[in-house]
Amino acid sequence: MRHIVRCAVAGMALSISVLADAANAAVTLEHAHYRFDAATLARGAKLYAEHCLSCHSVRYVRYSRLVPDLGMTKSTVEQTVMLPAGASFDRGMISVMKPVDAKRWFGTAPPDLSLEVRYRGADWVYTYLHSFYWDPQRPSGWNNRLFPNVAMPDVLAHLGGIQDRQGHTLVASALTPAEFDRMTADITAWLRYTSDPSKIKRMALGPYVIGFLVLFAVLAYLLKRAYWRDVER
Amino acid sequence: MHNFYNWVDRRFPFKEIVHEHLTGYYAPKNFNFLYYFGSMALLVLLIQILSGIFLLSHYHASATQAFDSIQSIMYDVKWGWLIRYLHTTGVSFFFIAIYLHMLRGYLYGSFRSPRELLWIVGYTIYLALMAEAYFGYVLPYGNMSYWGAEVITSIIGAIPYVGHWLSALARGGLGIGDATLNRFMAFHVVLVPLILIGLVVLHVLALHRVGSNNPDGIEINDYRRSDGRPWDGIPFHPYYTVKDTFGAAVFLLLFALVVIYAPTMHGLFIDTANFTPANPLHTPADVTPAWYLSPYYAMLRAIPNKAAGIGMLALAIAIPYAVPWLDRNPVRSSRYRPVYLGMVIILAGSFLGLGWIGMQPAAPALLPPARILLGLYLAFFALLPVVSHFEPTRAVPQRVTA
Amino acid sequence: MNGKKDIESVNSDKREFLTVVTTAVGLAGAGLVSVPFVKSLEPDAAVKAASVVTVDISQLKPGMHLTISWQDKPVIIVHRTPEMLATLKETIPELRDPDNHAPQQPPYCDNPYRSRKPEWLVMARVCTHLCCTPLFEPNKGSVAPGWLGGFHCPCHGSLYDLSGRVFKNVPAPRNMAIPEYEFTDDHKAVKITGMWPKAKLC
Repeated sequence: MRHIVRCAVAGMALSISVLADAANAAVTLEHAHYRFDAATLARGAKLYAEHCLSCHSVRYVRYSRLVPDLGMTKSTVEQTVMLPAGASFDRGMISVMKPVDAKRWFGTAPPDLSLEVRYRGADWVYTYLHSFYWDPQRPSGWNNRLFPNVAMPDVLAHLGGIQDRQGHTLVASALTPAEFDRMTADITAWLRYTSDPSKIKRMALGPYVIGFLVLFAVLAYLLKRAYWRDVER
Repeated sequence: MHNFYNWVDRRFPFKEIVHEHLTGYYAPKNFNFLYYFGSMALLVLLIQILSGIFLLSHYHASATQAFDSIQSIMYDVKWGWLIRYLHTTGVSFFFIAIYLHMLRGYLYGSFRSPRELLWIVGYTIYLALMAEAYFGYVLPYGNMSYWGAEVITSIIGAIPYVGHWLSALARGGLGIGDATLNRFMAFHVVLVPLILIGLVVLHVLALHRVGSNNPDGIEINDYRRSDGRPWDGIPFHPYYTVKDTFGAAVFLLLFALVVIYAPTMHGLFIDTANFTPANPLHTPADVTPAWYLSPYYAMLRAIPNKAAGIGMLALAIAIPYAVPWLDRNPVRSSRYRPVYLGMVIILAGSFLGLGWIGMQPAAPALLPPARILLGLYLAFFALLPVVSHFEPTRAVPQRVTA
Repeated sequence: MNGKKDIESVNSDKREFLTVVTTAVGLAGAGLVSVPFVKSLEPDAAVKAASVVTVDISQLKPGMHLTISWQDKPVIIVHRTPEMLATLKETIPELRDPDNHAPQQPPYCDNPYRSRKPEWLVMARVCTHLCCTPLFEPNKGSVAPGWLGGFHCPCHGSLYDLSGRVFKNVPAPRNMAIPEYEFTDDHKAVKITGMWPKAKLC
């Protein structure tokens, strides 16, 4: 039953995004600059836990994998990332917001963001975080240039400042633009990781696998040539 | 060791098989780059079966659990991400190999007598492969899986008289759901793989019966030494086993580069819309099939009438079966038939162009080029009987050239 | 003529050498590639997470016990009283392995109490003879005269003390296994995380 509700709610949320798809074409995406390394991802994990995890799960990512993948210690993970009530080290990063409450507060359940970067692209997510503006006509007061009529409020407003639709500053940001860019890039990098944690392993193993195959290809070529010498063309 | 072989050979035609299909099978010595792709396709088939078995060990065929089971493979199963990426990359490499393999067939007249049956079996393998890819694509039950299933089963519904019944058979219900997933899994894991393996065996047996063609299109068996060995032939083992090993090494190198550094190939090998679960209430903005099916999709979109479009699609997919009988020229290979070569280039080019169009969102501006390319594609088959009868040809050598 | 023969034999040696080397490297590669496939069948993170069970012990007063099913095995948690703990010294002469020589417990339970905290016993309640579930007999004299308290297996009569340590002259060969566990920060629950790999359950 719960799953049907979740599906229906997700369906409504996604059907809103159909309208967004049409509007998307107008907004050029800003490019997220980040280095995909353990330090960035650890920062991103902490930022995500602080600002996003209370509403948005990344349920496929278990807290425990942050230790081998990101090089964090178990206690750091427990103290800085495992923030939702009832979080368990071996289980996924789940928001404890009940769909019923979410529906009441936002009109729709905040979606799970595990695969968001794979689905929309890193630059889309980054630009999204930079595209909120104050819109008194919306029930929450917030709107987003990249995702019109989004139900989500600007949770980073206290750090990134508030703009109106034209981009004029209504409230100055607490962070410098560079700091805000860095922060949102870290969150984007984190979501890139949650979309595909294998990237870390792939990058680490890649040179060895390719090196081995190059060696094998060279040997196979020498072997082929040793036989084909006989064949007059 | 020698005694062991003898022991087996008395009880099983081991030496006979090795001789007939490997050490005593004489293949032309002038195989070029395009001749790698038959054995490369076999290699990919092996990769798909192996990776598929291990994916199946973790997959749940249920509408509520399928998507999560794929994510569980990607996140929780040890090395699950590798097995999954091997399987998705394998699909694309399979089709690349098959398309190049077919191109070779068109270019050098490998479908000509006495290889008509070989061509028919091979083309059936291609169709079975498309079915296999389609069933497999639905299993992860992402949003594109769902809507792809919806669209294709609807197309089946357009077949006169039996369409609706067939569509219900395919779906197992009114819409796409649990029943669909379960039967698609049975088809994808058992039915079509068995058909594929059987067809591949028939394909190789048919090939060995008539002998391989070559880029010059001449029969090497027409010119033999006194002991019966063709002048221009070399035993498959060791020459082509060794050459194919090298081919496999390069192929695997490219394969590994994709799996490691670009597994989704920016949405081409794994569609981005499939990274969100199936949603019956939300159709993705563009329901496009995977790249290897996109030429046919472009053809379908080019015809505004539903029944006519489907009829034309069926024709376009089935017409290559007739090629061995459409080509009337005594010369086989396009190397000595410049007009035919031009036609093959146009065929390949229009197929590629249609493929590109099929991957774009539907746009009115794309209709004229799609129709032109579809026309060119069909024209190859329509004109071949006439053109092949009258076209000028170059002198064909008696012995193979490089 | 000689020269050609030499080239031929060199060619043949070269072929053989390259065949051997290429085959060896190829087989090595195949071997390496098979490792992830085999490993993918090992219990994955989801199974491991499901295997972590947290048991609420806040209601267990001294002398009380509870048994849960963990991975289809019974695990008993006993809140031992000081009297119970005192018996652990007295049973020593009758025990097969009072000093935990056999690695039936994680290192942090390598003590007479076979636990992290003396009063809490967390143990796989599986008889090391043939896997029956022994009866918990904490009361003195309940099994036989002189019985100080412990476990008695009804299947073949094996006996254990209140730390699960096996008696001499009974069919069971080892002390009962202690799983890996930890207490939650507020000590209101025990989190059982896995079997101690070196322990033999039965």
